[in-house]
Amino acid sequence: MKYLLVAALGLLIGAAAAGAAIYYNPFTMTKSAHLDVADRALHYSLPSEVLGFALGDAIMPPGTPKRDGSLWEETIDRTAMLSLVLDDAHDNPTAIASRLLAVSPRTDFVLSGVRVNDYWLLTIPGEGTLFLRAETNVWPFLKETLPVWYLGRPWKGPSEYSPTAGPGELGAAVVLGATGRFVGLEGSAIEKYRLTDLDPAARSAAATGELDVRLSASQVAKSE
Amino acid sequence: MKATFFLALFLGFVGVLAAGHFVPWGAHVRLPSQTHVIANGGRAEQFVIRLPADRIDAAGAKAAGLRAAAPAGASTLPPQLTADPLLVEHFKIRDAAGNVVGLAARHWSADAHTSGTAWSLMIPSRGALLLTAPGEQSAALDTALHNAGYNAGTAWTGDVRVAFAPESADDAIVAAGSDEFSGLAGKYTETWTITGVTDGGELHGTIEIGTVTRKGT
Repeated sequence: MKYLLVAALGLLIGAAAAGAAIYYNPFTMTKSAHLDVADRALHYSLPSEVLGFALGDAIMPPGTPKRDGSLWEETIDRTAMLSLVLDDAHDNPTAIASRLLAVSPRTDFVLSGVRVNDYWLLTIPGEGTLFLRAETNVWPFLKETLPVWYLGRPWKGPSEYSPTAGPGELGAAVVLGATGRFVGLEGSAIEKYRLTDLDPAARSAAATGELDVRLSASQVAKSE
Repeated sequence: MKATFFLALFLGFVGVLAAGHFVPWGAHVRLPSQTHVIANGGRAEQFVIRLPADRIDAAGAKAAGLRAAAPAGASTLPPQLTADPLLVEHFKIRDAAGNVVGLAARHWSADAHTSGTAWSLMIPSRGALLLTAPGEQSAALDTALHNAGYNAGTAWTGDVRVAFAPESADDAIVAAGSDEFSGLAGKYTETWTITGVTDGGELHGTIEIGTVTRKGT
């Protein structure tokens, strides 16, 4: 019996030590990617510029009231959909984006963090549509916000995040021109956001974000 | 006793790290793909959207017609974004067997000279597809419904079929893909079949998206 108690204590302490190692693990922090020159810098503000939002049941934070139209089917219960308005440098609404997000199989709490596949359709009226494929690391955001929401820990914000973690060169997202004047263009993009408010009671957050996009003629076009 | 403690400590530490590394935290439920090989090579796969059940939301300029109607309580587009025709729609998508397998976003936009449509289809267990095509005429579905006897504000039943990307269109293409769809290219078709409209303007019917893809074409 004594050995059993000692073993249980050892297991618990070992598990707690591993949990702490995961929490402070530097490998799961995304290195901040940057673009030398951005053709476009688009800004957004959350939640004021959100047009629509749906979240999968399996990733709904506990205690969050269920909403109609949630993504409850087992094949999509770890996904989310977000549509939002983006502004130019003068805060004029310039673009609309649809983001389809799904927890990535590349999620690894030891080496890469909590990865999310983040597919954007970004339309600038009068110009056309861009498709962005990003891999986003949400672990730095989660590890700062979850203890505030669920353990009542004080929030140390405002905090800044650079979640884009690929799949392009230097950790940027891949951009492809889809319609309009963007056809034949490709490039890269990075997203940054600043968490400006965190409300533990409402399980809500406010943020301002920026998407920097850089475009060039596609490699196929260049080689012609 | 000491040895037991340290052995358990080690096991606890390594066990949690191993779980953090090896457990497939990001795995999604995957249903068998409803693809079939076609006679001249390549593979065909059809996706279906059932209206209104699979419609998540929409936003757009009024000129885009019935499809731009946002659900009650939804935010509307700022006027600066509706100066040019624009329609953004979000759906759940199903495989050919009728199972929900993913999410889709459809953006349609136009300027004075041209219009374009882009679909982003995300199937979490498989990856994403980008489909692009020249866009349909503004409010094309409304026009077809009016031709079939629909009047705004009154309920209507019937059978209207509109191909926004018909089989003959060579410029309705599978433009890119990720993960399992990476390196695939091909064509797609998009057909809307509307069997009813409620007096509130809610559409009933299906959207069928048929893809034919090959590796590296």
